[in-house]
Amino acid sequence: MEYTLQRWPRGGQAPEETGPQAGGAPDSPESLHKQGILTARLNDLVQWGRKHSIWPFNFGLSCCYVEMATAFTSPHDVARFGAEVIRATPRQADVIVISGTPFLKMAPVIQRLYEQMLAPKWVISMGSCANSGGMYDIYSVVQGVDKFLPVDVYISGCPPRPEAFLEALMLLQQQVGAEQRPLSWTVGPQGIQRGPKLSRRDSKRAHRLAATTLRPPDEV
Amino acid sequence: MTAAVAAAPSASLIEALRARCAGQELVEERTADGMPTLWVPAGALRGLMRWLKAEASPRFEMLYDLYAVDERQRSRRAPGLPAADFSVVYQLLSVRGNADLRLKVALRGEYPHCPSLCEVWANASWYEREAWDLFGVVFDDHPHLVRIMMPRTWEGHPLRKDHPARATEFERFQLDEARAQREQEALRIDPEEWGMSPQGEDHDYMILNLGPNHPSVHGVFRVMLQLDGEEIVEAVPDIGYHHRGAEKMGERQSWHSYIPYTDRVDYLGGVMNNLPYVMALERLAGIEVPPRAQTIRVMLCEFFRITSHLLFYGTFVQDVGAMSPIFYMFVDRQKAYDVIEAICGFRMHPAWFRIGGVAHDLPRGWQQLVRDFVDWMPRRLDDYEKMALKNRMLQKRAIGVGAYDTATALEWGVTGPGLRATGCDFDLRKARPYSGYQHFDFEVPTATGGDVYDRCVVRVEEMRQSLRIIRQCLEHMPEGDYKARHPLTTPPIKDHTMRDIDTLIHHFLSVSWGPVMPAGESSAMVEATKGLNSYTLSSDGGTMSYRTRIRTPSFPHLQMIPAISRGLMVPDLIAIIASIDFVMADVDR
Repeated sequence: MEYTLQRWPRGGQAPEETGPQAGGAPDSPESLHKQGILTARLNDLVQWGRKHSIWPFNFGLSCCYVEMATAFTSPHDVARFGAEVIRATPRQADVIVISGTPFLKMAPVIQRLYEQMLAPKWVISMGSCANSGGMYDIYSVVQGVDKFLPVDVYISGCPPRPEAFLEALMLLQQQVGAEQRPLSWTVGPQGIQRGPKLSRRDSKRAHRLAATTLRPPDEV
Repeated sequence: MTAAVAAAPSASLIEALRARCAGQELVEERTADGMPTLWVPAGALRGLMRWLKAEASPRFEMLYDLYAVDERQRSRRAPGLPAADFSVVYQLLSVRGNADLRLKVALRGEYPHCPSLCEVWANASWYEREAWDLFGVVFDDHPHLVRIMMPRTWEGHPLRKDHPARATEFERFQLDEARAQREQEALRIDPEEWGMSPQGEDHDYMILNLGPNHPSVHGVFRVMLQLDGEEIVEAVPDIGYHHRGAEKMGERQSWHSYIPYTDRVDYLGGVMNNLPYVMALERLAGIEVPPRAQTIRVMLCEFFRITSHLLFYGTFVQDVGAMSPIFYMFVDRQKAYDVIEAICGFRMHPAWFRIGGVAHDLPRGWQQLVRDFVDWMPRRLDDYEKMALKNRMLQKRAIGVGAYDTATALEWGVTGPGLRATGCDFDLRKARPYSGYQHFDFEVPTATGGDVYDRCVVRVEEMRQSLRIIRQCLEHMPEGDYKARHPLTTPPIKDHTMRDIDTLIHHFLSVSWGPVMPAGESSAMVEATKGLNSYTLSSDGGTMSYRTRIRTPSFPHLQMIPAISRGLMVPDLIAIIASIDFVMADVDR
């Protein structure tokens, strides 16, 4: 089998080929591409797959679950984000959305469900109660699910709108896409490399401040 | 106040009660809601209750509510009432006589004893367990007095006045391995404890734990099942996974700032939850609500009845196997929310009613939005009838399953569509019109089978009636104020605030501390989405409630599950659970 070795620059353009070999060797990326074959690093491919197929666990606690379920139905169409495959068992799910109040009596159950999920797994905290206890600084409520679970995305609101849930899903996709999870032993740092946590307050600030006229409440 | 209260039981009933506990004194208490209220001696309680249920005129068929009050820190208790550290309150409802009766028992001591009513009313069991759990009142002869709301590992009784309210008053929550282990151990089922036996005479039973997280239990609800193959031998519902302490919360929020908490009790009912709360306060303060505000309230309540019933409809048919209807129904819910949002500014929990009226007038152009919705909806309901109700598979799963009659419903405290499906036409909007329901032309849908299918049929018909009511609101919306001109309304009137110091001071105090409600006790009941919902408020003449009692319909409905599911299959239980239409916040509060 004939082949030529080329250095493929990281994140850059393929080196321009010159001379009689232009058009590519029989199995250069260009010629493979022409045959309908895509080449990629396995790690990137897996990452891309994960990013676009985040399957949620069918789990709800209170009011927020209704808005989360609304996001699953046709007017909002969660299938656009590859997250319409709702799993009834934690073992098949990628993300658990803590949609509602984390009750003291429920906390060990939530933790057990999270433990049953297989890695890689992510947690979205949906709504004020799950974020911090919210309105319920009361004896029977844990003040935020992050007291016992690692949270990846927080959604504010009481309850947040379905659109906010979709935004959180997109943020999680970004995060999952940026994550580095070595598939095998690698040289360099081991373990999961996560991207920086983004603050929507900061990124939306300019846009929000630009709004000068707001719709008056006595118009529909 | 145009709201009609229940027909007061004749003086003869009170006389008859006096005669029945001869020698011991019955003390009558005046309450702002006008409900006959009597303090009775604990010793005579069981006899009186039996008599009231079986022989009195009118007969009180239903134990509507049972709760405790910690009386130790009362500052404005009416003179002449029996001395009490705790009291237990029993509210009875006569459906046939359309009357209420409230009996109270004064108890002394740190862990007072009170006779149990379990042998008189089947639904007393959970209420008494709740009062034990939250207040530490011991009910003698209760068959199984254990915690119901709090985890078994909990110490103390959280609704006592000397128990801390805030989570932040406790140590920061940590779920280390040892604690997780301990809590899991406390959640483990002991079949023997619940009268279930894994061993039969010649074969073993299976003990199945359904919940607290299961796709078809509609929230965090658990049923422990003893199964013979797939047949249910015994079912034991277990609740308390959704206890948010809403009643304790009422003791530290101002009268006004508690309104958003009511939204989250029946979280599908939205502003419908505000209504009994603000009505109870309006009765306490003597506020007359203007007709426009009343009609706006009715219109919004009926909108939420439709969104709640649509969610029930969709999830019910999904639970028995039909996937698609729920997707269509959520489109309609979205349309309803568009109207609700345009009017109230929020979707699920607008907290939009105010003491004395509503938060805002209707926006310009609301008529078209409402008209579009009421024109859109009926055709959709016709479609669903073909898609769901006439579906033979659904009929086979639902007809004749989980049936009970009116007497059983009343015994267990069932109200709302679950009661009307048995042929009893008790709808509070007709029986005791409140908030101007007497001006509307609508019917009370009933069915006769009392099974899963009929409960669905009744709700579907109720949606049509709600559309009728909304259309009448649209066509006859009165002009005038959207909030009463009374000093105790919230937010307070601001007309003269900037002109003289006296009104400025009052306005400032009323906004910062909240209104000061007169001392007394008041309650209000409404026909909520799931049944009868009422708030009973005790005021010591302050800016906060002394005791807030929320009677929710779903609590007794769940208690009834074992009685109607024994001998059926597991899939029937799923259909029954779906047909009850509950949300756990409405059960555990």
